[in-house]
Amino acid sequence: MFFTLFDFLTHTKGVTYVLVGIFLLLFLSFWRFLTEREADR
Amino acid sequence: MSISRRGFVTSLAAGAGALSGGAAQAGSVEHFEGYPGRYGLLHDTTLCVGCRSCEFACAKVNSLPAPKDPVGDLDVFEDIRRTTATGLTVVNRYREGEGNQPPVYRKLQCMHCNEPCCATVCLVHAFTKTPEGPVLYNPDVCIGCRYCVMACPYYALAYEYDNPIDPKVMRCTMCYPRIKEGLNPGCADACPAGAITFGRREDLLEVARERIRKFPDRYINHVFGEYEFSGTSWLMLAGIPFHDLDLHANVTHESLPAIGTSYLSVVPLIVTIYPGLLAGFYAFTKRKDKLAKAELEAALAEERARAEEASQAKLAQAAEKAKKDKERAVEAAVSKALAEQGKGGAS
Amino acid sequence: MSAASGNDGRRGLFTPFNVVAGIILIGGAIILAVRFTTGLASTTNLSNTNPWGLWIGFDVMAGVALAAGGFVISSAVFLFGMKEYRPVVRPALLTGFLGYSLVVIGLLADLGRPWRLPFPFIKQAGPTSPLFEVSLCVALYLTTLFVETTPAIFEWLGLKWWRRLVGQMTIVLTVFGLILSTMHQSTLGAMYMVTPTKLHPLWYSSQIPVQFFISAIAAGIAMIIIEGWISHRAFHDQVQITDDEFRNINYGLAKGGAVVLATYFAVKVVALALDNEWSLLTTGWGAWYLVEMIGFVLAPCLLFAVAHREKNLAMARAAAGLTVAGVVLNRFNVTFIAFNWTVPQAMRYAPAWTEVWVTVSLITLGVVVFKWFAARMPIMYDHPDYPALH
Repeated sequence: MFFTLFDFLTHTKGVTYVLVGIFLLLFLSFWRFLTEREADR
Repeated sequence: MSISRRGFVTSLAAGAGALSGGAAQAGSVEHFEGYPGRYGLLHDTTLCVGCRSCEFACAKVNSLPAPKDPVGDLDVFEDIRRTTATGLTVVNRYREGEGNQPPVYRKLQCMHCNEPCCATVCLVHAFTKTPEGPVLYNPDVCIGCRYCVMACPYYALAYEYDNPIDPKVMRCTMCYPRIKEGLNPGCADACPAGAITFGRREDLLEVARERIRKFPDRYINHVFGEYEFSGTSWLMLAGIPFHDLDLHANVTHESLPAIGTSYLSVVPLIVTIYPGLLAGFYAFTKRKDKLAKAELEAALAEERARAEEASQAKLAQAAEKAKKDKERAVEAAVSKALAEQGKGGAS
Repeated sequence: MSAASGNDGRRGLFTPFNVVAGIILIGGAIILAVRFTTGLASTTNLSNTNPWGLWIGFDVMAGVALAAGGFVISSAVFLFGMKEYRPVVRPALLTGFLGYSLVVIGLLADLGRPWRLPFPFIKQAGPTSPLFEVSLCVALYLTTLFVETTPAIFEWLGLKWWRRLVGQMTIVLTVFGLILSTMHQSTLGAMYMVTPTKLHPLWYSSQIPVQFFISAIAAGIAMIIIEGWISHRAFHDQVQITDDEFRNINYGLAKGGAVVLATYFAVKVVALALDNEWSLLTTGWGAWYLVEMIGFVLAPCLLFAVAHREKNLAMARAAAGLTVAGVVLNRFNVTFIAFNWTVPQAMRYAPAWTEVWVTVSLITLGVVVFKWFAARMPIMYDHPDYPALH
């Protein structure tokens, strides 16, 4: 239960930073997975 | 593992519910009420006589040097002063006395906002809004960037610029240790004119409204700090327009933190959208290059084929010509030989 | 190569450039020594009303915008395939790397407790703060720029395996750099969204992040032209492209500059319209705003356009100068000229000579280090042993 916008934002933005950091790393792997066979074709 | 689909979904929902802590709060439309029962102070500027006892009491309670200008020295009101690293509160005169109109004074200090700017802009979370009401500062994590000093709309924060070792942000603390012990803040106790009242914010709002009701000619019909930028813990009553007291009147009820962080919601979108978008641009560029290269090679091949054909044709033509020349030469030789033979036979 | 660095064996260390640079740098070091031993009050005009001054206004705000050329040109060449600009990629990336390094040094001078710089990441984070996002992005971007500078270093040192490794990372680094730059360039502007009562309405806008980002692109393009002008002359014997190719690169950059400035101008006009601020244009502040907009945005935009059409290099360079001055002026306005505009004159801020000296020292340091790099490493030319990156 958040009483102030400040506490709410502290929680939500903290979570968001971690999520997008993970996304960047996952995207790199995802891109490699998607395109690694293109050289063979 | 055999979990039924329904069981899986319900356990997901239960987990989500536990994570969000009960009723889901949708930040974009939620109104945050703040901690219930928190304290505040009511400053009735119509009662303030400019004695500055609060300044001296504040210095004493916080173990800071007493203000240089003694009580009763009216020169101190010549300029509008701001709080300093050693003067956590100051009283200014905003209107001189005229005839039977007394001068108007106001006390400045940290307003302990409901949604503090300083807390929101601090990159090390050095500020907290306590359940009791005061906004507190933790110098142990502060790196001295002074974004809080820059952001505060009330110019309430000061910084120890002359301290090279451990400079701190200096501001009113609403005497948090005293409040925890059940005492009043130093300024509230010291004020001889009753211009400062300490209590629960919701009660003080009632007191303020009651005073306006009782003495409508004495007060502007507005309690400053109730809603401005989502409200403050210091509430004010005045007999002159708040604008003349150097307070921004007619501002939005939306908090500055809400306004100030609205753009930040776009930032995660940049991280999530750019990779796909830019990978797309890169792939598009590579594809264009590949097509251009293929086109170039096709054009070159065609040109080569045409050149090949042309040279073949030329060769064939030359061979044909050589053949014809040879035939002509043979014919000429034969007819010459025949002619010579004819001549020899006749005689 | 040694002739290009301006040093020849006879005069040795004491060339006019080195002497002047040395005096500036030594003076700056002395001022900073005083600052760190006695506190900020002794060497700055900062106050409780004006906690941010020239070191934030120029070293951080303007500095980051002027170092934007790195991400602009590397994206153009590696992501959008504009290969004709390859010769200016390395100088731009080096300018970017040095620029951001100087931003961090300037910040260390300004922070109350600079030794606590890593605190947001190692001690306690304040994720609600735009400054948190800026510091995270700048730290990551400085790292990215450093790695993008290493190909030249590895070529110089002959470390083929390392050079190949970082070469393969080019696209990823460029994409990452563009993401980070978009974020922190705009968020530097977003830092002012929390001060609507302190920043004059003509400069305050809910769209200030977009305005900062677009003007940073313009500043980056202009800096490539200016830095190219100086280094092309100073290192002329290293340069492999023909004069014509160099001129065409500049004309192309001028075209880009014209488009970006036109976009920026339109974005600012839209902000005026959305906040209904037309009547403010007739005030004193309005006149100052028009000076910035007409003289330092619209004028260079038109100059760039004409320079491109008429193939006029001098005009392109003049436009670049105006653009850089305009972005610096805009950052100054937002940081301390149009900021605190209601504060009584006696409490307004003007930089102390010590603040100016330190800022000039940092710029000088950047130029000196750039010179050192370019004299030794394949910045202004391609090393013959290594294939071009993409």
